Amino acid sequence: MIVAFYLLALIAVLGAGLAITLRNVVHAVFSVLLFFSALAGLFLLLLAEFIAAVQVLVYIGSVGILMLFAIMLTTNVVGDPNRPVQSRGWVWGGLAVVALLAGVLLPIISRTGGQSPTPLSDFNPSVKQLGLVLMDPYFASLGVIALLLTAGLIGAVVAATGASEADQAKTVPENRPRFPNN
Amino acid sequence: MGLTLHHFLILSAILFSIGLVGALTRRHIIIMLICLEIMLNAANLNLIAFWHFSSNPLLMHGPLFTLFAIAIAATEAALGLALVLAIFRHYKTIDLESIRDLKE
Amino acid sequence: MNLFDFSHSVGWLWWIPLFPLMATVWLGFFNPSGKFAAAVANAALLASLLLSIRAFAMTWGPEAGVLTANFTWIQVAGVNLEFGVVLNPLTGAMLAMVTFVGLLIFLYSTSYMSRDPGMTRFFCYLSLFMVGMLGLVMSNSLLLLFMFWEIVGLASYLLIGFWFRKPSAAAAAKKAFITTRIGDLGFLLGLLWAFKATSTFLLFDGGQGLLEIEQITALSATKDVLFGLNGAGVIALFLFIGAVGKSGQLPLHVWLPDAMEGPTPVSALIHAATMVAAGVFLVARAFPLFLADATVLGIVSWVGALTALFAALVALGQYDIKRILAYSTVSQLGLMMVGLGAGGLALSEGGVSIGTFHLLTHAFFKALLFLGAGAIIHGCGHEQDIRLMGGVFNRMKVASICYLAGALALCAFPFTSGYYSKDQILLSAWTAHGAVFWISASASLLTAFYMTRQCCYVFLGDYRGKGPIRQSPSLMTAPLVILAIFSLAMGIVSEEFYHILTYLSGIAVDQHAWIVVVVSWVIALGGIALGLLIYGGSQLGLDATDPMKGSLRTPYAWLENQFFIDELYDATVARLWKASAVLIVFLESGIHFLVETVRGLVTGMGGFLSKTIDQKLIDQISFDGVCDRIYKSGRLNAIIQNGFLQGYLRSVTLGAVILGVLYLVFAR
Repeated sequence: MIVAFYLLALIAVLGAGLAITLRNVVHAVFSVLLFFSALAGLFLLLLAEFIAAVQVLVYIGSVGILMLFAIMLTTNVVGDPNRPVQSRGWVWGGLAVVALLAGVLLPIISRTGGQSPTPLSDFNPSVKQLGLVLMDPYFASLGVIALLLTAGLIGAVVAATGASEADQAKTVPENRPRFPNN
Repeated sequence: MGLTLHHFLILSAILFSIGLVGALTRRHIIIMLICLEIMLNAANLNLIAFWHFSSNPLLMHGPLFTLFAIAIAATEAALGLALVLAIFRHYKTIDLESIRDLKE
Repeated sequence: MNLFDFSHSVGWLWWIPLFPLMATVWLGFFNPSGKFAAAVANAALLASLLLSIRAFAMTWGPEAGVLTANFTWIQVAGVNLEFGVVLNPLTGAMLAMVTFVGLLIFLYSTSYMSRDPGMTRFFCYLSLFMVGMLGLVMSNSLLLLFMFWEIVGLASYLLIGFWFRKPSAAAAAKKAFITTRIGDLGFLLGLLWAFKATSTFLLFDGGQGLLEIEQITALSATKDVLFGLNGAGVIALFLFIGAVGKSGQLPLHVWLPDAMEGPTPVSALIHAATMVAAGVFLVARAFPLFLADATVLGIVSWVGALTALFAALVALGQYDIKRILAYSTVSQLGLMMVGLGAGGLALSEGGVSIGTFHLLTHAFFKALLFLGAGAIIHGCGHEQDIRLMGGVFNRMKVASICYLAGALALCAFPFTSGYYSKDQILLSAWTAHGAVFWISASASLLTAFYMTRQCCYVFLGDYRGKGPIRQSPSLMTAPLVILAIFSLAMGIVSEEFYHILTYLSGIAVDQHAWIVVVVSWVIALGGIALGLLIYGGSQLGLDATDPMKGSLRTPYAWLENQFFIDELYDATVARLWKASAVLIVFLESGIHFLVETVRGLVTGMGGFLSKTIDQKLIDQISFDGVCDRIYKSGRLNAIIQNGFLQGYLRSVTLGAVILGVLYLVFAR
């Protein structure tokens, strides 16, 4: 159990870490897929099978593919090799996050109680249970989510196809510096 | 010594921080979106862990919440990437440093 | 809670904002033609008016108390958030006033906006505003009140910027929104503070509500919470900050004159009669909290008095007819605050009726003045400069007479409605604090004076503008006549008048002081006489200098420029913002310097010591480097305002860290 946890945690941290350091964006997407699957494993470890399945279907299946498509449709994947992958002043961003982790997240975690009141596998929450709960008290929420997904889909289509001829005519003013020259 | 809530919380905090570092430092806008997904997933892990170690897991609050969060995150990813396409079409670049229109 | 139960509970009050809401949704989604949209909005408001009259009638009786209908909105973690409506005399009177004046203004706009292509949008926004205002007046929960407060603010933003292609209108809308937001932050803090202290948002809850005796006693028992105020006083102070923003009181008044960029009916409805009075209403609504701490009442009356005097002075130097009225509104709102603050000090619980009564009368005559101004502007070919008017009286008889009636009421001419309400304010101020009384009295004197000045400019002499004067259609003059009758008659029924004061507060109000009566007669008549003396026979117009300017050149320039308050804010707040950016740049280069120095030392150990010190430390880092860095990031706002997305995100993260650490340190 604990070995599986550390293994999956390692994969997850590795995947996430690679995703934010690799220069090649396609490689980054693949490593984030690794992260997603490690997370699915962790969900299984926590006895949430349905969420694990959803994780695989939604994240690995569709979000990852969507990202690959977005990369294909936008720009070259490696970027300008002469420029750093980080944006200007990235040290400050990193420091802010370190401060967040050390100053806020970890102290809060240290305050929570560690052990659960009931042992790990005394209960067996099944997918059926989730389905029942979803249909009875949370039916309205499910409907709202469906509505939201539809609206999001329409919005995405509009945003992605949106620009009319008139808009395309006035794209970037010529005097805008594409890249600052520092 | 078995697995405790702390294990998952610390892992999730680390993953969240990695995602945040990426979102704050990388100049590529798609990487930034990926980092948003990483942060959301870290939060989901937190939810599921809290549920697993809660006193009444049969209420299924954790998976329900996570399910909704995933649905919203999927919408957000689709919308975000569509916006990336729109931004790319408008500015001909997806470098965050070159997009400065928020400046007044 | 039952919407259809009209006899036992007051849940049916929800119908009052629901009708305009339905109109908003209809107009927003189906976008019908302008004429039809106007009809829909008018019909919906008429329905609300009928219900409001019923509500008003229910409160108008000796046994009228506080009726509420509450329901639980959400339950989170053992906390019940309850919403509800309340019907008491304050609500009843406000409902009746808002819907009645609102309907007249809706009718007027039907004619005024009939040529505008955005008429449907206009009525959609106007109905949305009505939803917010009616909801605000009747909500029984501080949180619900805040929500409606924000809806009202949004509608105001949309309507000020209604002609959004005009850059000045867009800028004015933005300014109004942001300035009132500063006040709203105060409101929000007060609301949260109240919830933390009492764990309820309900104002009236059968003895448990925020404004009821039990909670007030408990709150005022906690002494010296913040700035030496007691628990109730702190909440009241924060709520007052919200009221300052909404009602354009002194530090935050800058948005209201600019808000006149909106269509004139909007100025009449929102920025004269109803929304700007919401701040006053909030103070009146939360009056028990204010009563619990005399210091806050003192602050309220002082802020009100200074605002009244300041705005009246500025109004003297303006030439834009709507701008004069806007400053006059600010000034009158100040007087309402004086009425509440000083009234509370002088009469304790009776004080609420003093300010509220002036609110009600002011709503009628100021709406009348704005609508009249709209008719005049319309008639003079959309000219707003009073120097280019003149001789309007002979050409537009009905509108002019109505306008003069409103002006008389505003000047507190004896036996008009404004006379009675202002008299009460002055009486309370006299009892409460001498200085406040004299400041308010001089503000009233100036009011009479600048209104006379304006009327002389507009109505006397020859017409100085270009083009013919057009007559207003009868749909525009009919509301004027009705409002004029009300402005004059609300005071003439003086038997009922003392009844109104008793009705509003539930306590018999009876104050007399012969000196105040004399002073207010002298003020009204003297101000008008003075105005006539100076402006009556003079040559007015663009080419002639203002008679006041002739004798008092420098002070008058200050008045004309509105005491340079906008420029002051530009010079201080905006500068401060930029200066902080420069400061951060310096800090950043300092930190860079440290970092690079350490790095330089470490590299130095590798044997490149001399080279490093010579080139890196001296040239690159300490002198040239710093200069270069200042230059680079010295594209001024290098860190904060540079449009660089991740820079903003980093600041957000840093803010979250600071808040989190503060929480961890102080939470327990």
